[in-house]
Amino acid sequence: MKDMRMESRVDSTVNKIEARKVQVYYGATHAIKDVDVDIADRAVTAFIGPSGCGKSTFLRCLNRMNDTIAICRVEGQILLEGEDIYDRRVDPVQLRAKVGMVFQKPNPFPKSIYDNVAYGPRIHGLTRNKAELDQIVEDCLRKAALWNEVKDRLSAPGTGLSGGQQQRLCIARAIATQPEVLLMDEPCSALDPIATAQVEELIDELRHQFSVVIVTHSMQQAARVSQHTAFFHLGHLVEFGETGQIFTNPKDPRTESYITGRIG
Amino acid sequence: MTDLAALETAPSPRATPGQSIYVTSPEMKRRNAAETRFRAYGLVAIAVSLTMLAIMLFTILRDGSSTFFQAKLSFPVELSEKVLDPKGNRDPAEMAKVTTIGYAKVLASALLAELERQGIDLGELSDKEAAELISKDAPGGLRAMVLDNPALIGTTIDATVLAGGRIDGYLKGRVTMESAQLDSNISPEQLQLADRLRTAGILSSGWNWGFFTNPDASDQRPEAAGLGVALIGSAYLMALVALMCIPVGVAASIYLEEFAPKNRWTDAIEVNISNLAAVPSIVFGILGLAIFINFAGFPQSSSFVGALVISLMTLPTIIIATRAAICAVPPSIRDAALGVGASKMQTVFHNVLPLAMPGILTGTILGLATALGETAPLLLIGMVAFVDNYPGLPLEGVLDPATALPVQVYSWASRSDPAFIERSNGAIIVLLVFLVVMNVAAIWLRRRFERRW
Ligand SMILES: Nc1ncnc2c1ncn2[C@@H]1O[C@H](COP(=O)(O)OP(=O)(O)OP(=O)(O)O)[C@@H](O)[C@H]1O
Ligand SMILES: [Mg+2]
Repeated sequence: MKDMRMESRVDSTVNKIEARKVQVYYGATHAIKDVDVDIADRAVTAFIGPSGCGKSTFLRCLNRMNDTIAICRVEGQILLEGEDIYDRRVDPVQLRAKVGMVFQKPNPFPKSIYDNVAYGPRIHGLTRNKAELDQIVEDCLRKAALWNEVKDRLSAPGTGLSGGQQQRLCIARAIATQPEVLLMDEPCSALDPIATAQVEELIDELRHQFSVVIVTHSMQQAARVSQHTAFFHLGHLVEFGETGQIFTNPKDPRTESYITGRIG
Repeated sequence: MTDLAALETAPSPRATPGQSIYVTSPEMKRRNAAETRFRAYGLVAIAVSLTMLAIMLFTILRDGSSTFFQAKLSFPVELSEKVLDPKGNRDPAEMAKVTTIGYAKVLASALLAELERQGIDLGELSDKEAAELISKDAPGGLRAMVLDNPALIGTTIDATVLAGGRIDGYLKGRVTMESAQLDSNISPEQLQLADRLRTAGILSSGWNWGFFTNPDASDQRPEAAGLGVALIGSAYLMALVALMCIPVGVAASIYLEEFAPKNRWTDAIEVNISNLAAVPSIVFGILGLAIFINFAGFPQSSSFVGALVISLMTLPTIIIATRAAICAVPPSIRDAALGVGASKMQTVFHNVLPLAMPGILTGTILGLATALGETAPLLLIGMVAFVDNYPGLPLEGVLDPATALPVQVYSWASRSDPAFIERSNGAIIVLLVFLVVMNVAAIWLRRRFERRW
């Protein structure tokens, strides 16, 4: 735990997202129980916890991706800048443009690399001409540390890239829509250490513009990139606090056993 | 950890420790034998089906390929003004008074004159019997030609006219001297004359364009019967079925697969669509007769009604194929699109449909191919009627009486003259060629769309 970034300061204490008493049910299964979390603006929040504890489920609540699962039911309140995202007036499509997502498994569109990144800006009308779009595509690919590998074959299919490249493409695609919150579900699980380091660098950079939520199974990664950490266990939020405190001085014995590798 | 330990200590049930891997264990031999047997079954099954297919193709080609050639008589015909335009004023109304009987006489005397010029002996045949070598269809054709172009009157043209059906059969080996003895329509002497005409170059066999362009013909002149009306009818049918089925079928599938809530109603709809696909086609024919003709009053025998009925039948097939193709698109693609803020419809049209396209196209084309070969419902709505007028151009033309390829096959096959059986087989070949073309198109489209990604 030497490389833990203890000095990383929380830039802001403004909460971007506030979740209160969130319950998620898959049919009769109670997957998320009574979760209260504050996601700070312009900071990275990490969700850690053993497999199946509900990290992805909770993450998917934050941009209402759970709406696509027929049996999934969400209760409680999730406020984005004070507005309830589960309010009747909210159009989830519009919400998802603000709260972008990178999925656990890389899922590029079966389109060219260029079109993958350009898709979001195109459907949201973010650019006025081709040159602007080209610029966005290049910027996003650079940020996702993919530009050098693909700049000569932007018209090649995105599905033809390696798993790690695909994931970085998905990251580029997600940031191309210029979301305010970026949800990342284990973005590095398919990446080699070099690409992982690049993505972590990107996350660190992104937190100056967005608020980032990242699910990870790597304690080191959580410690390296995040300012806040939430530890989930069996659908409960066991502990939530500053990353430094969670890793050096956990209050709950379950957190301690998890980060020292005794449960999970 | 405990699992791993358990694996290490548990004795393996099969492999004996220390056994060389060069020695195949009895258990392994048993499994290999089962596999070998299964492969043999598979090969036998394929061999049987290929043999059946080969036999079928062989018989059809043997019996049908001769249709594409047709016996013709070529000789100069003098179109004398005295006979064809007695008043000499080229008035169409006056000229039309000369019936086909008049033209038959012109043709007969022209043939006889040519025989005399070339010194061909009629043998025991009378002039009338010799003229019977000319098809009964020929005078009508000549008359139409002259009425179309009155300038021909007074000239001598090199006419090529159909030979009678029996003469055609004789050239193809279907009619023989023995069969002619028993046949009231032809005599062995006429066949001998045909032999002499052939040597003289008057009678010959050539490519049968008429088979593709002529309408159906009456029982007495099989040599003139063609697929013209059936081809137009089938083309109208296919175009209308595609126009009606593809948009409706694809839209219904997209709705059911992507938008509809999953509840008892949609389940019921799903089951019913599958059931509809299994309903025998004749039932759709009866339905079409009752609804479209008796109730809605659309014209009988028209390709429009045929297309409506066949659309009803093809729709479930297209819906099932399209839904399967849409369903096979990985859900992660939908998540990806929704995740960047695409609406449901953008997700479907930008990302799901392009991926499902090869499957949709193949399913649709195969559905249309089945529709092309569909016969029973068309019989019920009257498309089997004898139609010797071409249907008009679209759009009104689709309301004109027409037949379709498979129906033409059926109606020729049920006539007594073997010359019609030959044409029936010829029509099957044409139908098969269309089906092969459609299937190849399906494969090609599938490849093309899949190669892109
Ligand atoms: N679509 C679904 N339908 C039913 N149950 C689900 C569904 N998705 C998740 N679950 C259940 O919800 C619980 C939480 O799952 P979730 O995917 O959120 O776990 P996770 O913490 O992301 O695990 P991992 O680290 O393995 O990704 C699990 O018990 C899982 O079985
Ligand atoms: Mg997960």
